Amino acid sequence: MQQTIVEHLDRLTEDVLALTLRATGEELAPWEPGAHIDLSVPNWLTRQYSLCGDPADRDAYRIAVRYDPLSRGGSEYLHRFLRPGRTLNVSLPRNHFPLAPAPRYLFLAGGIGITPLLPMMRAAATAALPATLLYVGPSADTMPFAGELRRSHGDRVRIVETGRQGRPDLDALAATLEPDTLVYCCGPAGMLAAAEAAFPAERLHAERFQPAARTFGPDTAFEAVCARSASTVAVPAGVSLLDALSHAGHPLPAGCREGVCGSCDVAVLDGSPEHRDDIGAPQGHMYPCVSRALSPRLVLDL
Amino acid sequence: MTHVSTRPRRISVSEVLTRLGPPEPMIEAKVRDRIDEYARCFIAHSPLAMMATADAAGRTDCSPRGDYPGFVKVLDERTIALPDRPGNKIADSFRNLDENDGVGLCFLVPGVREVLRVNGSGYVTDEPDVLVRMRTEAKQPQFAIVVEVAETYFHCGRALIRSRLWDPASQALAEGMPSIGEVAAAQFGVDQDPALLEQFLESGYRELY
Repeated sequence: MQQTIVEHLDRLTEDVLALTLRATGEELAPWEPGAHIDLSVPNWLTRQYSLCGDPADRDAYRIAVRYDPLSRGGSEYLHRFLRPGRTLNVSLPRNHFPLAPAPRYLFLAGGIGITPLLPMMRAAATAALPATLLYVGPSADTMPFAGELRRSHGDRVRIVETGRQGRPDLDALAATLEPDTLVYCCGPAGMLAAAEAAFPAERLHAERFQPAARTFGPDTAFEAVCARSASTVAVPAGVSLLDALSHAGHPLPAGCREGVCGSCDVAVLDGSPEHRDDIGAPQGHMYPCVSRALSPRLVLDL
Repeated sequence: MTHVSTRPRRISVSEVLTRLGPPEPMIEAKVRDRIDEYARCFIAHSPLAMMATADAAGRTDCSPRGDYPGFVKVLDERTIALPDRPGNKIADSFRNLDENDGVGLCFLVPGVREVLRVNGSGYVTDEPDVLVRMRTEAKQPQFAIVVEVAETYFHCGRALIRSRLWDPASQALAEGMPSIGEVAAAQFGVDQDPALLEQFLESGYRELY
């Protein structure tokens, strides 16, 4: 956990608020483009936001939050009730969407999905690598950072206003793509699906805001063995591994509780996990908030 | 011990009003017919509301509703919604609302002495756009109670000041209480070790959603 203070709140568009969070003590932990933090909202909720500021600025993090009319209370609280001067705790940055080395990049942003791509675009420009950004939204006035991007990157940024121009033709774009281009896409589910259909999987890196709709077999009961404490925890069907561990006295940090943030990461020593998360746990790890077991028993490094 | 009358005498409301004297003019000005920005902020910070409902005959009950701050959603300045989290399934409030739509709510914010009171009329909904805003730990409630707001006001802090409700030292009062296992063993008349009952009840508390 790192403590920050809300320095500025800037309304970028009618429903996007940018937060500048300044370190209260030492420098903040370093991060690379694509990283996100868990923000502890004062109403006890935890929400994930991509860092969209300058990684070289070790004194402040910048995030941008879109107001969700179906908010459970995270974006609503930040938009309506947060004031400068308030102390906010944030996690260490994590990166499930790192920028891999490539000779050229294509960035595809849909709406607030621009946030992780903003520092990527800057990093590519700084490294003098050819990079273009296709930024899609209903109209320019609803799209945060549109003006700033145009000023900094000129015609390497293409703004598509779907209200006037309709959706961009990603297949046509894919057809003209240099084969060594890496494509990074962050946006709503429809855009990710279109990108997945248009670009080869090995060239495409995608980040989603919400869990993908997928179906799994029915939950089955299994056992989790906590190797370090030599205790066995029964995980009934209908109870998450995370909850079962926590009730048995092995609390783990929990952020999203839906397999998109990675804060409950635990190492698996034996057994086969059934991964149900959206971010892809590293080899030998799992996210117990959603993932379960294919084997009757899992041995965890706890 | 001196025995006093078990049934205290009843006095009329006119007698009460005469003795109280006229209300402070400020009080009536406090009543609003909608959720203003201050009431909205209060609800967004409140993890606990007490909800009173009554049946057709006016028999009333009051039950606590609690979750993370802001668990009660303000849909617009005249409408709020409370999630129905798993409880004892007795459904008293649902039955009452079916017969009599009157609802009275008191919202509390830890550390704040004033209480927000909201009165109105309620009904039960399963509207997906409302329920989705109440999703917790990947589960959403089956129902929500919608309250159409008739009046809201901030109740002065004297009751909470006198009760020392938010004073951490007040928590010592819990030491004087029998455990819920002891209470359950006595009330249900079961011949069961209170410690086991306690364990059973505690395990039930783990399923919060």
